[in-house]
Amino acid sequence: MILSGWESVFFWIFSIAAIIAGLLTVMARNAVHSALFLISSLVSIAALFILLGAEFIAGVQILVYVGGVMVLFLFVIMLVNVGAEEEGRSPIFNRLPQVTAALVFLGLLAFVLVAYAIPEGFKGLKDRDQAKLQQAAGARDAREQNLQTGATGVSRITTQTERVGTDLFTRASLPFEIASLLLLVAIIGSVMLARTLKQEAAADDVDPEVLGHAPPAETGTDNI
Amino acid sequence: MLLQETSGSRLSTAVEGVKHPDLSKFLVIAAILFIIGVAGVLTRRNLLVIFMSIELILNAANLNFIAFSRYWQDIGGGNPLAGQVFTVFIIVVAAAEAAIGLGIVIALYRNRETIWIDEIDLMKW
Repeated sequence: MILSGWESVFFWIFSIAAIIAGLLTVMARNAVHSALFLISSLVSIAALFILLGAEFIAGVQILVYVGGVMVLFLFVIMLVNVGAEEEGRSPIFNRLPQVTAALVFLGLLAFVLVAYAIPEGFKGLKDRDQAKLQQAAGARDAREQNLQTGATGVSRITTQTERVGTDLFTRASLPFEIASLLLLVAIIGSVMLARTLKQEAAADDVDPEVLGHAPPAETGTDNI
Repeated sequence: MLLQETSGSRLSTAVEGVKHPDLSKFLVIAAILFIIGVAGVLTRRNLLVIFMSIELILNAANLNFIAFSRYWQDIGGGNPLAGQVFTVFIIVVAAAEAAIGLGIVIALYRNRETIWIDEIDLMKW
């Protein structure tokens, strides 16, 4: 897998953007800024997916993560209103010894991964697949030549999405059904978790005695 | 002389690697994103930012899956799109996790009026 020409330029642009946005996600003082930086990191990663030929996954990434999960995050940030807290003097990181220990060990992990484990492992992988790589290099280009040209005339329409769909509904059909069940559980679970005491009382889930002693602080968040 | 030659060839392989990024570059990017995510989980006090860091970690894993899927396609392995199918499931699980996690955050905020994790220590020994 070798990108070339503009592909490699875009690879460097988007990977550096993803890393910088990821760093700012972790370091931003305001949680809303963190969420926005995370969105830009996720969009850059979606662009990397397109460079790798996974257009469907890139679309799903933007639709589900940026359009769904991150909007949910932003809603919750607005609900718990941490912005007011973050303005103050309270530190955003843990105490110094813990942070130092975490960063030292993560630095070691990063150094070993980037400087040794990944290059060496990749070298081994390349040595193993040398023959296959050379043989398949031409085959991929030939396969792409056979594809239909897109409406703009500069790119070809791949069958990648079609094949992912076929895989999902044939080989992975049982996990697919289980995933739908998982989503159902998540929906019901989050509705149950986020109920107010008043809503729980309306569904007769609360002991009336508990309700009698309920703190009046509940009123402020009732209309959520 | 010999030293110069080897350093020159090393430089040229580095330039070649920048011009034609391959699988290992994607793995390095994913590893860096993973490390950033773990650093966020370990160092931040804000529960919501910790959740966002978890999303970053999951995305690093997704990037690895997609990169290996592309490599697998290039060497002509069997079932070449397994990595992409896995990624779809990871995205589904991440969405479910975010929904449940944020439900817990809201319930926690109602009860404790805080989302700083060092103030939520009821079960701490």
